[in-house]
Amino acid sequence: MSQTHVGPDRPPYPGTPRWVKVFGIIGIVLVLLVVIIMFTGVGGKHGPGRHIPSGGAGGQTPPIEHGVQQR
Amino acid sequence: MTMRPGLRKFVLTVHVISSVGWLGAVVAYLGLAVAALTSQNAQTVRAAWIAMELTGWFVIVPLALASLLIGLVNGLGTPWGLFRHYWVLFKLLLTVFATSILLLHMPTVSYLAGVAAETDGANVFGLRGELIHAGGGLLVLLVTATLSVYKPRGMTPYGWRKEHEQRKPSLSNSP
Repeated sequence: MSQTHVGPDRPPYPGTPRWVKVFGIIGIVLVLLVVIIMFTGVGGKHGPGRHIPSGGAGGQTPPIEHGVQQR
Repeated sequence: MTMRPGLRKFVLTVHVISSVGWLGAVVAYLGLAVAALTSQNAQTVRAAWIAMELTGWFVIVPLALASLLIGLVNGLGTPWGLFRHYWVLFKLLLTVFATSILLLHMPTVSYLAGVAAETDGANVFGLRGELIHAGGGLLVLLVTATLSVYKPRGMTPYGWRKEHEQRKPSLSNSP
């Protein structure tokens, strides 16, 4: 009987481990959550644009924090 | 292509150092973000932003790229491979994800550091986002570090097929 690299006597694949399924589900849920937060605007604008004043083109007026005391 | 044991150990050592260094640098970055968020001193907030930018570009980004590239070499040069074991595959995906987010986010940090440096006051509007990004990055790195230590069992279908293709010739040669 000749030996082939892929044969019927190869043991069947035991299946995906449970920890992989749990990790996969957690990962998908987290990615969906981030996508929903980003696209629904719940978390506000994303990226440098969120820090540029809405009326200004190019952010000429820097957004100065009001609660910080000058010393 | 499998590396010789000496080279393999060296590559693994560099991979561990770069990965752990990346994790430590993110902790330092998170510390700066928390200090900037909680401080009432404008100079402290401004200095924290500048330090965050420098830490990001000169420490975190190089370490992240080194960790990713050396990890690829480590996987390809050892029997572990990149796609054979689920824990290696998860590490690869998480590292690519974290590095991508880091590279996409760093221009925002540079912008805010620039604003903080040029103004008398300091901008903390971006700090909540910094905590989320750095905290998320830290979580991802803790998961990858844990996977590296525990190496949970489980081969991918590809890994299973390759494993038995390699065993066959050696079994046929055995007495």
